[in-house]
Amino acid sequence: MNLIPLGLYAAAMVAYAWHFTQRLPAIGRSATTLLVAAALSHTFVIGMQTMELGDVPVAGATSAISTFVWLLALSYLYVEMTTDERAMGVFILPLLVALQAIPAFRPGVEGRAAVLRGPLFGVHVSSLLFAYASFALACVIGITYVLLFKEIKAKHLGFFYARLPSLQVLDRMNQRAIVIGWIFLTIGMIVGGVWAAQARGGYGAGDPRVQAMSLEDPKIFVALLCWLVYSFELFAARRIGWGGRRAAYLSTLGFVIVLFNFVPITYFFSKSHNF
Amino acid sequence: MQILLVGISHRTAPVELRERIDFQARGVADALRALAGRGSAREAVVVSTCNRAELYVACDEAAAARQDLVRFLSDFNGVAAGEIAPHVYDVADLDVARHLFRVAAGLDSLVMGEPQILGQVKDAHTIATDAHTSGPVLNRLFHSSFAVGKRVRTETGLGSGAVSVSYAAVALARKIFGDLTGWSVAVIGAGEMGKLTALHMKSHALSRITIVSRTMAHAARTAEAIGGASAAPWEELDAVLGASDIVITATGAAAPILTKAHIESVMRPRRNRPLFIIDIAMPRDVEAAAGEIEQVFLYNIDDLQATVRENLARRASEVARAETIVNEEVEKFGGWFRSRGAIPTVVALRERFEAIRRAELERLDFKLSSLPPEARARVDEITHLIVEKLLLTPTEQLKALGGSDTVGAYTEALTRLFALTDPQADDQAEQDRAAKGGRVEPFKRPTGGRR
Repeated sequence: MNLIPLGLYAAAMVAYAWHFTQRLPAIGRSATTLLVAAALSHTFVIGMQTMELGDVPVAGATSAISTFVWLLALSYLYVEMTTDERAMGVFILPLLVALQAIPAFRPGVEGRAAVLRGPLFGVHVSSLLFAYASFALACVIGITYVLLFKEIKAKHLGFFYARLPSLQVLDRMNQRAIVIGWIFLTIGMIVGGVWAAQARGGYGAGDPRVQAMSLEDPKIFVALLCWLVYSFELFAARRIGWGGRRAAYLSTLGFVIVLFNFVPITYFFSKSHNF
Repeated sequence: MQILLVGISHRTAPVELRERIDFQARGVADALRALAGRGSAREAVVVSTCNRAELYVACDEAAAARQDLVRFLSDFNGVAAGEIAPHVYDVADLDVARHLFRVAAGLDSLVMGEPQILGQVKDAHTIATDAHTSGPVLNRLFHSSFAVGKRVRTETGLGSGAVSVSYAAVALARKIFGDLTGWSVAVIGAGEMGKLTALHMKSHALSRITIVSRTMAHAARTAEAIGGASAAPWEELDAVLGASDIVITATGAAAPILTKAHIESVMRPRRNRPLFIIDIAMPRDVEAAAGEIEQVFLYNIDDLQATVRENLARRASEVARAETIVNEEVEKFGGWFRSRGAIPTVVALRERFEAIRRAELERLDFKLSSLPPEARARVDEITHLIVEKLLLTPTEQLKALGGSDTVGAYTEALTRLFALTDPQADDQAEQDRAAKGGRVEPFKRPTGGRR
């Protein structure tokens, strides 16, 4: 069922790329329409899975990816509509397509493990997914910043110069995405810690995964590393004037770690988060 | 009806002549009224800019109108006809559409793709509408040209990229800082170049301008001349640099006044806020190595000229796409314009049918006179409806005809089949038709009948 949104995301990706090179307003509008259609069909898929499970499908690794893709598509659409800026789409869409391919070709929804219960668990997962979506946007904005920065520095005003918004705007958008992401990352991690502490003594006492929830687990350790990178970025931007290109590089580095943690570590290494 | 264009432009006439044929100075509305008074044109629009003076008219007889328009150019502007004649160009019908569409798109401008011309064409049409000299043909023509201008601007890169050094500098500043309001500018050097650049920046909403010069009196004088700018002595240079976002250097110094080390020291307290330095001095005022500093964007006059050259080249490469749009729109306009050729025949056909109806009613009058008035009114109404119904489809088909050959063949066939009189002479009837919503006034209709 995840194939339909995947197809629409892929079509939107082609349309965004086409719009990026040709810059025809009609193509831009159809690109946005395709992405809206993809997000709507994705909403429908997630809604169906929710009815089937009786729970929002965020607990399993694969369904968490699907929900993350959905959140990122919505966040991007929000940014596009508030800034009236379509240039970022060409960078976001490949990410959406690549990640959505995982749930699309790994059909079936994992039921929620019995230990994963309580309101704190929901807050933990949704904050983190939202934080990751913000970081994904920050990363893409950072990449476009660097591309434009290099063109202006090299005094060769070409492809990106004609297509991207100003450095100042990109820098500000990046900062905002990082702040929002950092807030949700912090909330998600603290709430996760509290939940784990409660579960270890209570209903999760017999579950080896709950017992493995400590800093030694790669998933939790890398998440903390992420938090450090983004905290440093925020600190550096305010205290030592690390704006612009350095902030853009840090945003990219941070999201690479997020992605690494989100996909391969969850699937292959983590003993605490393999639900 | 034919469309005709007579005019001069930067392509055909030297500036000395263009200056003297200036409708704007003498009043475009007056020119339109004078032109309408001559009677050679049914509709008229005058497009007058510093690079062109063009008369667009719709007329019955192009050859006669052409001569009269050239005379009008000479009479109205007081320039001898012999002086103008060698520089005048004239085109007719769809070539007029092509010309106007290219003008509106900026394809005929001195600076390829410049955007002002579309507004000027719009203004010209508005003036003609207000003076009641524009009519259905020119309205359609000009509205099509606005559409062409808009399409070319949004669908091609013909108007993109700055094509003068000062605009290139402002465009770059926009790419770095976004909206320019609220950023501050420092101009180093109180000479003419610095003053001009500062004025240009001021016209782009950069209101906080500080002039720094080795001689404080010069700086103060220039600041006053710009209006709203402030002056600072040379000793405060570092403070001014630290507070500014855009720095323009234009001194006459023989050696660089700003070294890399100097700018680095200024950048530190700025916490890497971007600094855009435009070095328009010759020889240069800023050490080239300063451009290596993170968050310093250094452009000198050669760099800006290079971007202007690139933009001009890019515009040139967009011409083909713009011409394609012009061709499409000329084709569209041509379809409409040719279908108008059928209108006189349509009118004649309707009149013919109406005349037959009226004649028959009169012939049968003695039989109908015994009927009560309501019944007579009904008879009139029914016969009218039959005629309308019979004519509906042929009328629609005729109006939908595209190619001029088909229109000619159809009108000729109809003229023969129904023995219609000379349809070309029926423009008055056509205007009546337009005024009455497309229907010929029916034979005596006693009560306000339904249709």
